[in-house]
Amino acid sequence: MRTETLRMDRVSYEYQGVTQLDNFSLSVWEGEILGLVPTNNCGVEALFSLLVHNLPLRYGYIYYHEKLVNDWHDHRPGHNRISVIRNESCLAKDLTVADNIFVLRPGFKKWHIRPRVLEEQLTPFIQEIGVPIRADAYIDSLTTFQRFVVELLKAVVAGSRLIVLENVDAFISDSELAKLQEILTHYAGKGISFLYLSAHFEETLRFCHRTALMSNGRILKCFDLESGSRGRPFLPCVEDYDRWVRARLKEGERSGETVLELQGVCRGNLRDVSLGVSAGECVVIQDMDGCAQSDLLAVLEHGRPESGRLLVGGAPLRSGLDRNIAIVQERPMETMLFHDMSYMDNLCFNMDHRFPGIWTDRGMYRSIRTEYAPLLGAEVFDLRVNELTARQKYDLVFTRLLLQRPKVVFCIHPFKKAEVSIRSHIWELIDRLLKRDIAVVILAVNLADSLALADRLVRLRRGSIQEVYRRGDFVKLPISTPWLYLHQEQHETEKAAGQQPAGHITTAPLSP
Amino acid sequence: MRRDRFCYLSRRLLAAGGGTLALGAMLLLALFAAAAELGGSWFIFAAAGTAAAVLLLVWTFLWIVRPFSCQEKETCRFLEGYSSNSAPRAGEVFLSPGGRQMQECLQKMLDSSELLKLNKRQAQYLALQNQINPHFLYNTLESIRSEALIAGLMPVADMTEALASFFRYTISKVENLVSVEEELQNCETYFKIQQYRFAERLQLTIECDSADREEIYNCRLPKLTMQPILENSIIHGTECKIGTGHLKIHLERTGKLLLIRVSDDGVGMDEETLAKMNRRLQRSAWTTASQSEQPEGGIALVNVNNRIHLLFGEEYGLRVFSIPGAGTDVEVLLPAITSDRDVPNKAALRSV
Repeated sequence: MRTETLRMDRVSYEYQGVTQLDNFSLSVWEGEILGLVPTNNCGVEALFSLLVHNLPLRYGYIYYHEKLVNDWHDHRPGHNRISVIRNESCLAKDLTVADNIFVLRPGFKKWHIRPRVLEEQLTPFIQEIGVPIRADAYIDSLTTFQRFVVELLKAVVAGSRLIVLENVDAFISDSELAKLQEILTHYAGKGISFLYLSAHFEETLRFCHRTALMSNGRILKCFDLESGSRGRPFLPCVEDYDRWVRARLKEGERSGETVLELQGVCRGNLRDVSLGVSAGECVVIQDMDGCAQSDLLAVLEHGRPESGRLLVGGAPLRSGLDRNIAIVQERPMETMLFHDMSYMDNLCFNMDHRFPGIWTDRGMYRSIRTEYAPLLGAEVFDLRVNELTARQKYDLVFTRLLLQRPKVVFCIHPFKKAEVSIRSHIWELIDRLLKRDIAVVILAVNLADSLALADRLVRLRRGSIQEVYRRGDFVKLPISTPWLYLHQEQHETEKAAGQQPAGHITTAPLSP
Repeated sequence: MRRDRFCYLSRRLLAAGGGTLALGAMLLLALFAAAAELGGSWFIFAAAGTAAAVLLLVWTFLWIVRPFSCQEKETCRFLEGYSSNSAPRAGEVFLSPGGRQMQECLQKMLDSSELLKLNKRQAQYLALQNQINPHFLYNTLESIRSEALIAGLMPVADMTEALASFFRYTISKVENLVSVEEELQNCETYFKIQQYRFAERLQLTIECDSADREEIYNCRLPKLTMQPILENSIIHGTECKIGTGHLKIHLERTGKLLLIRVSDDGVGMDEETLAKMNRRLQRSAWTTASQSEQPEGGIALVNVNNRIHLLFGEEYGLRVFSIPGAGTDVEVLLPAITSDRDVPNKAALRSV
């Protein structure tokens, strides 16, 4: 006889008068890893809140460990022993791993703390999962993956029967993700249940026992492993994406002059990186262990590597002022818009190198408005930045780049925290840059979304280039890469037609 | 009536006014004490006043605001048509005698046994309308079967036998609880009949954990719970699909629950239709029965859901999950009972 760890039955929940969850029904069995793929962010935060805290419901019932903990008739305030692991750490950074796991757990009552005892208590857990983490290491010194593991151990030690993981795959590399999945499977075998929230359906279907698709605060359907083995289920939310990527894969090779050259660049962890990117080419740099990205960004921002050269358009990069290079930060909606400036000022922010008098030239503003109204919509120009939708904010950030006309754009985790529908729009926006012959370099840890755009994939390990794949070689990537089926299908089609696989770039040299 | 009115007024006074008067008196006493003993120390004066105000607030919240907001919430949900086996509960809120009488009247109207009778009357009316006479039907089918056997038409004989046993199960004693095993047998009979039409285009799998099989098969559930859902899956799901349709009945049991999932890989439904369907299932049997407009479809599911609600309570019933092109899952949630005596609403079971 099986045991249900969680059952949310027809839950309707409102927050500040807005329906967050509507007739939401979901159950998690004991020892089950349930994947949850939300097509939009509606209701996701509310779901987390309801799992941990018993908030007043509009309708419905919530059972935890087959016990009714919250229902719409009688609101019983309280907490459930459910842990949520997300990018924002809940660990105390200035304390050690052992302190975080044992001392900060609820119910710890000792006055005298002996680090050696804590270390001894932690050792079996560490050995069990096979991740080398020192008990006396400070949280600040851990990598993202190690931090996730510590949070997981903390939840296990605290006695959580259900652990929620939110978008962890966006922050750790493929190999780390595979290890994490191994750890989850290990604990699932011990009866702990997991709710694994991810934006990638294929990935969850591959290792989760079941995967639920969520949209507008409702569960649409659950798929089990058997559904996955029967072939990829048809999902309307990715229909546009499928069509769009298939069209892109059929496009021919891109050739143009080399606009970015890294010649034996070294800085911090970055070691002897040589790379050339041509105009209109999309290169994805996958930092396998996440240690070189900050150094690469430092080189771009300051233009001064410890050794080697960085050339943009054939000339050395000028520190901080070079408008031939642009960087799209992580979560640009929050980091790249100025809320106290008007829409037009935000849009023309980086145009001063082309038109020095742009800030006072109202005529120029009018002509930009007329030119870009068909692309952005005529109504957006008079809106305040905080009144824009997520889609309009992304439009603003990327159109600003079109007006800036850089030779190369670096996008840092461009799909991070974006809804599924917004992701396809980001693809379109990046594609728009590529069609204007602007080179795009995407810095990614996980390939899930970026691979569809890439002409070339460069894998960095320990700060140096490990492997380079051209588009025709993507089929050789490890099977764990999501969306790979599109490349495999394309490869099979071309093979059947007796063609040379499309998309090989010959002009951009690997090492200039 | 006069006595009730007096009681109501005195309780209300006690709850709302009594607390205020008592606290007011306490406050005055504190003030007098402070003025007399300490010669007008403002600190004590302020502390006593604050404490009295806090007590007054807590008192008001616990005795007036909270009960009324609870009742208000339940009334709103009830008016929206959400499932509830009772009228809004008076509970801790003091109703006037007239209000309480109205409450009792509403309770009577929502009595589930009355609703079941109403459902049965509707079914009888439909049967009369269709001129179905069960005995005439069985006898005729048996005659056809014997004629087919004499003529050596084995497929026709088998088909007629399946049809006869299906009708025998379907038409007789619809109100009974049956075991999961009996219900599954009926599903298989129904599927056999459908297979004559669809042949290899339709496949049915019944799966459950082999260790729990006996316990699951002994569980009791309302008759004709699974077959209408299976029929729905075939007609609205796989029939419209190109290629083979896979149907699956998955059974699972926990300590308290029996879970039945009927899945198909048919055409599915869009998000809007799904939301509408689940909203209809969420609403109470009374709301559905009193609906004047013609429902757009899914009557079988609503009917099964209503029967489960009325017999076992609003926390059980049907939930539908679907994606266009990926199929539909209908999940039936029931209490895991092995005897008819365990039915929470026994009166409803007897009344029909």
